[in-house]
Amino acid sequence: MAAGIGAAAAGGVSIAALTLLRGKRGAGERADRLGAGRRAGGIRAGSLRVLRAERGLTALRLVARGGARYASNAPRLFASAGEHREALRNDLALQTAEDVAATLGTMKGVLMKLGQMASYVDDGLSPAARRTLSRLQDSVPPMSPELAAQVVAEELGQPPERAFATWDPEPIAVASIGQVHRAITHDGRAVAVKVQYPGIAETIEADLGNVALLRRMLKITAPMQDVDALLAELRERVTEELDYRTEARNQQMFADYYAGHPYIHVPGIVPELSTRRVVTSELADGARFGELAGWSQAERDLAAETIYRFVFRSLYEAHAFNGDPHPGNYLFHGGGRVTFLDFGLVKHFTAEELRPLVAMVKHLCVDNDPEGFRRAMEDAGFLAPDAPLPTDMIVEHMAVFYDTVRERGPRTMTGAYASAVIRRFFDFRSPLAAYVQIPRSYVILQRINLGLFALLGELSATADWRCVAEEIWPFVQGPPCTPIGAAEAGWRATRTGAGNGVRSVR
Amino acid sequence: MTAGSYADAAGLVERSAAAYASAVPRTPEDDGFFGPASVTWRVSADLSAPVAGLRSLLVQALHPLAMAGVDQHSDWRTDPVGRLAATSAYEVMVTFGDRASATRAAQRVRAIHEHVRGVDTVTGQPYAAGDPALLLWVHAAFVDSALAASALFGTPLADAEADAYVAEMTVAAELLGVPHEMVPASTAALERYLAGVRPALRRTPAAAESMGYLLDPPGLDEDIAELWQDIKQAAVIALPGWAREMYGYPDPPALTAGRRTEIRQALGVLDAVFLGEPGVLEARQRLAVRMRSAGKK
Repeated sequence: MAAGIGAAAAGGVSIAALTLLRGKRGAGERADRLGAGRRAGGIRAGSLRVLRAERGLTALRLVARGGARYASNAPRLFASAGEHREALRNDLALQTAEDVAATLGTMKGVLMKLGQMASYVDDGLSPAARRTLSRLQDSVPPMSPELAAQVVAEELGQPPERAFATWDPEPIAVASIGQVHRAITHDGRAVAVKVQYPGIAETIEADLGNVALLRRMLKITAPMQDVDALLAELRERVTEELDYRTEARNQQMFADYYAGHPYIHVPGIVPELSTRRVVTSELADGARFGELAGWSQAERDLAAETIYRFVFRSLYEAHAFNGDPHPGNYLFHGGGRVTFLDFGLVKHFTAEELRPLVAMVKHLCVDNDPEGFRRAMEDAGFLAPDAPLPTDMIVEHMAVFYDTVRERGPRTMTGAYASAVIRRFFDFRSPLAAYVQIPRSYVILQRINLGLFALLGELSATADWRCVAEEIWPFVQGPPCTPIGAAEAGWRATRTGAGNGVRSVR
Repeated sequence: MTAGSYADAAGLVERSAAAYASAVPRTPEDDGFFGPASVTWRVSADLSAPVAGLRSLLVQALHPLAMAGVDQHSDWRTDPVGRLAATSAYEVMVTFGDRASATRAAQRVRAIHEHVRGVDTVTGQPYAAGDPALLLWVHAAFVDSALAASALFGTPLADAEADAYVAEMTVAAELLGVPHEMVPASTAALERYLAGVRPALRRTPAAAESMGYLLDPPGLDEDIAELWQDIKQAAVIALPGWAREMYGYPDPPALTAGRRTEIRQALGVLDAVFLGEPGVLEARQRLAVRMRSAGKK
C-alpha cells in the first residue's frame, strides 16, 4: 500500500491531472492518442468520460507551475518561503478589506487555491512556467496588525488583546488566505492563531462561481458532467478550506486519534477561540523542513518514516487524508518525532471508496494476482472495464507506483524516483491513458502521493518501506519492524478498546 | 497597405511585461511629473488598464492623419508586439520615471517624430507626427480612454479626481511638444475638444485593418487569446457610440453587473499572468511602497 495504495490511486488520477497540467505539445499528442485508442479499442466516444484539454490555459498552466515547485524544490522552497516571511512586506500590509479584494479578488485567490490543489507535478515544466504561481503567492502581503485585530474582534467578540492574555500583533507566518499570530491564552497556553483575510471567502466563492471562465481556462472538450465533477470537487475543497471550523474539526480529529502517539504530534484546537475565520491551536515549535538538510541522514530517515506512517495510518484507520503534503506543514523534533500542521484540506473516505484501493495493493503486492489487480482498478472506476489492453501491460505501467513496497528490503526514495513516478503519472502517451479516468472522490488523492514521494525523495529517505507498509496494511497487520514501529505498537495497544477511533468521531 | 502583412502577436504579454518591468524606475532621482500621490499613478495601476490601452488605440486610429503616420512609417506591421511594448514602456517611463528620464524618453520620441511626415492617401492631406494637433489627439484619446475604462471596469474616479487626472496629464502632452494652452485641463474641456475633432474622424482602410488585427491578434497563446476576447469586448463596450458606429461594430448589450464582474475576472487572470513575468512583481512593489508612503504624508 503506502506508496502502493495512493500510487495506484494516483495512476487513476492522472487524466484529471493532465487536463490541468498538460502543455501544448502534449495536448496534441494526447488528442492523437485518444483518437487512436478509440479506433483501436472500438470504444464508444464519450463512454470513457475522459477529460481532455486541448490547451492548458496559461492560468492553469501557471497554476501547475506553482505547484511544481513544491514537488521538486521543497527544501529550497521552504527556506525561501521562510525568508520571505522574515522579509514580509509589512510596508505593503493590507489595511482594509478593499485592499484584500484588490489583491486576491478577480480570480487571483482562486488561481492560488486551484494551483495548490492542482499541484505536485512534473519536472517537465519550464522554469518560467514554474515561476508564475509562486509569484502570485509572493504578491500577497500580510494584513496590517490593525486589520488582523479587526477580524479577531469580529470573530471572537473582543479585540485580541482582551481575547488573549498576550497577543503578538506581528504575524509569524502567512498562509495563502490568512496569517498566523502567536498568543497566550488567559489560562496560560501558548497558541497559534490563524486569522483569515476579511472578505476572502466571499471573494473566492464569487470567483469560483464563474464556472464559464474556469471551464474556458480548463479548455475542456469532454462531456460537461466531467468538467462539472472536477470543478465541483475543487469548489467543495476550496469552500471547506475557507471555513476554518472544518479545519478545526479535522485537526482535532487527528489530534484525538494520535493522542499519546510517541512520534506523531498534532496540536490540539482551542475550540472556544476558534470560529469561521479564526482558528486557535496549541503552539508547536520545531525544526522546519529546510533545516533537515543540515541533519544526519539517519535523522532524516526517521523523520521520513514517521511521515510515511502518519499518511497511511491516517488513510487506513482514520479513513482520512490530509491533502496538503506541503513541506511547510511539518515541524521536526529529532529522533523521528514530527508535528503535523495544517488540516485545511482533509479528504474523508468511506469504507466503500477505500476498498478497491486496498484490493489493488493486496492483489499486486501480496497475492501476486494481476487479474485481481485489474478488476480492482475497474471496480474503483480507474480503468474502463472493456479496455483492449493486456493485463501485463497494465501491471507493468502501474508497477512503478508500487516499486517501494513490492519487495522487502531497504529502499531509498530518491528525487529521481519521485520524478520517475511523477513522469509516469503524467505520461499521457501511455497506452493506458485513453482508458483511465478518476472518479471525483479520488481526485484529491494525487496530491498526497506526489507530494509524499517528492518529500521523501528530497530527504533521500531509506527504509524497508514494504515492512513498514505490512505493519499498516489491514490485510497483513505485520509485526513491528523498526523501533518506531515497536513504539507505535505499544501506543496502539493502549488505545485498543479506548473507543476513540477516528471513524466514530465523524 | 497590403492586407495580411502583419507579423503575428506572439509574445505580447512577455514583451509588454519586460518593457514594464524595466521602465519602472529603481532609484529615481525625484518623483517625476506626477508623483506617488497623483491620480495618474492610481489610474495607471488600475485593473482596467489593458482595456484602456486597447480602447485608446481604437479611438486614436480614427484620425486619418494619425493613422497614416503609424501605417506609413512605424514598424507596426513588421513588429506590432514590439511597437506596443515600446509604447507602453514610454507611457510607464513618463508616468513613473523621474523628471530627467521622462524628459529624455520624450525627447527620443520627438526626434523620431521629426522623420514621420508624408501625405495621407485617403484624405490627400499632408501630415507630420510632430504636429501638435495630432499629438493632442493621441493624448486626448488616451486620457479619455483611461477614464472610460476605469469607470466601467476598474475603480471609478470621483468627478474631482477625474478632473485632477485630466489636469495632471497635460504635462504628458507638453513633453511631446503640445503647447500648454492647447491641452484640455478638465473633463469638460476634454469632452469639448473631442467633440470638436469628431468631424475630422473617419475609419480609413488602414484603421479598419489595424484594428481588426488588434481585436483578434493572430499568434497569441491560445489561453491569452481566450482572455483577449473579454478585453476586446470590454474595449468595444467602453467606446463612444460614434466610434463604434464608424467601425461598424454593433452596439453591445447593456453592461450588467454580472458581465462587468466576468470581465474583471478575465482582467484579473490576465493580470496574474502578467505578474508572473520576470520583474513585474518587484516593479509593482517599488511603486506600491512609494504610493503607500505618499499616502501617509
